Amino acid sequence: MALSLPGNATWEDFRRYWDLVYVLSARHLKVRYRGSFLGIYWSVLNPLVMTGLYAAIFGNIFATYYDNSLLNYMLAAFTGLTVINLYSTATIQSVNIVVWGSPLLNKIRLPVSVFPVSMVMANMFQFIAGVVPVLAIVTLFTSKNPLNVLLLVFPILSMFLLCVGVAFLVSALYVFFRDLPNFYEVIVFVLGLSTPIFYPPTIVPPNLRQFLVFNPLYPILESLRDIAISGTLPAPYPIVHSLLNGVLVLSVGWLCFQRWRSQFMDLL
Amino acid sequence: MELIRLDNVSLLRRTQEEFSYDLKRTFFSMLEGNYRKPVRRLVLDSINLTVNAHEKVGIVGANGSGKSTLLKLMCGILEPTKGKVRVQGSIAPLLELEAGFDKDISVYDNIILYGVLLGFSRAEMKQRAREILEFAEIEEFKLLPVKGLSSGMKARLGFAIATDVQPDILILDEVLSVGDEHFKMKCKKRIDSFWQGNATILVVSHDLDFIRQYCERVIWLDRGKLMFAGEPQETVSKYLKYST
Repeated sequence: MALSLPGNATWEDFRRYWDLVYVLSARHLKVRYRGSFLGIYWSVLNPLVMTGLYAAIFGNIFATYYDNSLLNYMLAAFTGLTVINLYSTATIQSVNIVVWGSPLLNKIRLPVSVFPVSMVMANMFQFIAGVVPVLAIVTLFTSKNPLNVLLLVFPILSMFLLCVGVAFLVSALYVFFRDLPNFYEVIVFVLGLSTPIFYPPTIVPPNLRQFLVFNPLYPILESLRDIAISGTLPAPYPIVHSLLNGVLVLSVGWLCFQRWRSQFMDLL
Repeated sequence: MELIRLDNVSLLRRTQEEFSYDLKRTFFSMLEGNYRKPVRRLVLDSINLTVNAHEKVGIVGANGSGKSTLLKLMCGILEPTKGKVRVQGSIAPLLELEAGFDKDISVYDNIILYGVLLGFSRAEMKQRAREILEFAEIEEFKLLPVKGLSSGMKARLGFAIATDVQPDILILDEVLSVGDEHFKMKCKKRIDSFWQGNATILVVSHDLDFIRQYCERVIWLDRGKLMFAGEPQETVSKYLKYST
């Protein structure tokens, strides 16, 4: 969060920033789950149902790639789905968030970046309260090592950095280009398909596989599967790779957001 | 003591109609080479102005003359294109009161949300919530979503939250009393206490009698230019003469 503050920020600024993110995130969650019976557990139910669906359709074919174990295939699909679901909901919902805040921004002096950050935080909260406990249980069962459960922090942190960075970028672009959602949904769809969620990465033709490296979700998913379902201590490389990716995307997103921010107010 | 100082402040803003808001069209117009830089219009033109502590200043002018824009500059919502704006002390904006409300969440949550947006901490707002509900006389609707309130109640709530502050500088944009007669009296009392207190007040109003009666100094804007600043009587009569 410290990155989101100006250089000479004080403790008071930090507290204010945090309070703003807190009340806005709480607002997003309350509106989303008003009158909803399952509340945040929808976010677990969705990947569970999808996992069952994928297992029913592709289970027989793909199980051979997972030591002939349908369960292993299902765990791989489940972890993949949690990652892509978090990414797509957090960033797609962030697209219009600065414009949503325009009535407020026109009345009260606010740090504009709290809007995308609050939307990602709301989704992170939902992820941590709903999906992460399931991942933790899976991890504990497969690895029998509590250290692996703790290591889950890294893919989650990488996801957060990546989502905030992308949220800065898309929410800023949407101020200028109101037809962005159409384009962005296509991008998310392509990104989702090019992430090995329900298929083993080895079936991708080698000349295409080299491009998977450019998919920022891929190293995150790799490290998550390594930690949660490989049953051993994870290799450090995917973890470091995904963290660096996250920092890079966040920096680019933040720089663009700050550079374009001065033009926001004329268009809001 | 000087609280607000504007040195040669100009503001250019993009006119929204000029802008395409469209990725597809922008892309193709760039390909065809006829992409135009968006046009910008001068909204405020080299304004020099100072406001001293405890002063009550009125701002008058026709619609679209830049009154609200001037207040936005002082609040720090907009940055000047040229010149410098300096403000000392806390500013409380009191512009169109219901803007901060979220219709779908409860009255109580809205009090916390709106208060934090206005600059209070969450802990402070939790303590203030009861007083605010009491002042707005809507305690029994505390847990109701705001869309369940009548428009008068919403206005009362907005007024109660926004005025439950002790700012150094208070900004009033055409909002002096809301609600029914009973509540109007309450509003008036609260505004009067600001008026008598130490607050510095900037008020935008088309109610010229009010301006003449309550303000110590009046600023007249026309099409982004500062036409005159001085005694209320003098400024208002100049403004009236110009307008007719």
